[in-house]
Amino acid sequence: MFSRSVLRSLAADLRWSAPSSISSAAPLQQRACLHQTALLRTSQQETQTPYSPLSPETPLSATPRVQNSQPVAQNPPRVPSSDSALSFVPQTRADVPTAKQPVAPSFESPIQVTKSLMSRLPHLVGQSPHYVVAELHARPYLLTEGDHIRLPFLMPKVKSGDILRFNRASAVGSRDFTMKGSPHLDERLFECRVRVTGVESEPMRIKEKTKRRQRHTKQARSKHRYTIMRVMEVRVKTPEELLEEGAVVIEDSEDTPTIEARQ
Amino acid sequence: MPVKGIKTVTAARNGVGAFILQCKRLDFHYCNYGGSSRGMLAFLTQTLPNFARENPQIEIRVSPRHSKHPIIKGHYINGREKSICVRNLEPSDILSKAMILKDASGEKLKQQKKPVASLNESVRGIWSPYHGDLRGV
Repeated sequence: MFSRSVLRSLAADLRWSAPSSISSAAPLQQRACLHQTALLRTSQQETQTPYSPLSPETPLSATPRVQNSQPVAQNPPRVPSSDSALSFVPQTRADVPTAKQPVAPSFESPIQVTKSLMSRLPHLVGQSPHYVVAELHARPYLLTEGDHIRLPFLMPKVKSGDILRFNRASAVGSRDFTMKGSPHLDERLFECRVRVTGVESEPMRIKEKTKRRQRHTKQARSKHRYTIMRVMEVRVKTPEELLEEGAVVIEDSEDTPTIEARQ
Repeated sequence: MPVKGIKTVTAARNGVGAFILQCKRLDFHYCNYGGSSRGMLAFLTQTLPNFARENPQIEIRVSPRHSKHPIIKGHYINGREKSICVRNLEPSDILSKAMILKDASGEKLKQQKKPVASLNESVRGIWSPYHGDLRGV
């Protein structure tokens, strides 16, 4: 929690220092780094202990090693070589190849909000808790903070501990107010973060396949795996935040998100 | 006098603030004699050191288990354990089995229909016929 709050304040500072921020890329990059802090801490501990190539590499093999007086060519820590690729743990953003880094969202135009939305937004922001109808592969998930999600599929390329931000939502709301998109809300209006907590599977399913007039039955087995997640944060941005990020206030029109009060 | 239940104070929600991997220990059992342990022995010498280094939060124990098939056993924070038999498997397959145990939550496997499970109260409350406006059909 400590590192989160520190990084958040850092991100807030960056946001303050960049007033003409159409793209909120810098704070978002900071946020995207969050899940690497645990890795960072462990790797720092590793670097504090002097690295001896003989002792910890293969603790399980009892074969004697050849002692040579040749100096061992140590790789610089930032460049992962091919033989140590398995044992290499990325420490900072610089260690991750460019192709594998999370893509910061880029926006062509500043977010446009209507006057009526701006006037009603404080009511929605002030009334917690919030829910969000986030969409993932066109399926809606109604989420509140602390919820446990088991996706109906195994999400590729995520590890347990990763933090994802759901940026597609059709509605965000509180007890009395709901902000509805048409059909989706702009991702700069809210924040919904989830943490990947692992992978679960189901019990083995056995389906008996039979054909007519045959004694033979075939058993088809399947056991699917699912990604499990935990909702960390559901938050609606305040009007002040939106204005800081360069929101433009426009007149009301048809296809803009609206906040509806409960009747 | 009616019996009163003890009110729960908090519920564990791993991952909301801090995240703790649920697998706390992995036991690797092998046999020095048996042929089904050949892949396991190769895994223990080649792959396991890197696996252990990448997962410093998991305690790893290696112990022989004479004249039995090799297994991997995972111990979880909720007190349960899961074991996978890895007889006659290649080291790469054994690594994938170890990853399954590492990522598992330790819960018993269940069929689930609903994707979202929530401990929170309903945000919008429960509908009541006695409140709110009357609506025409």
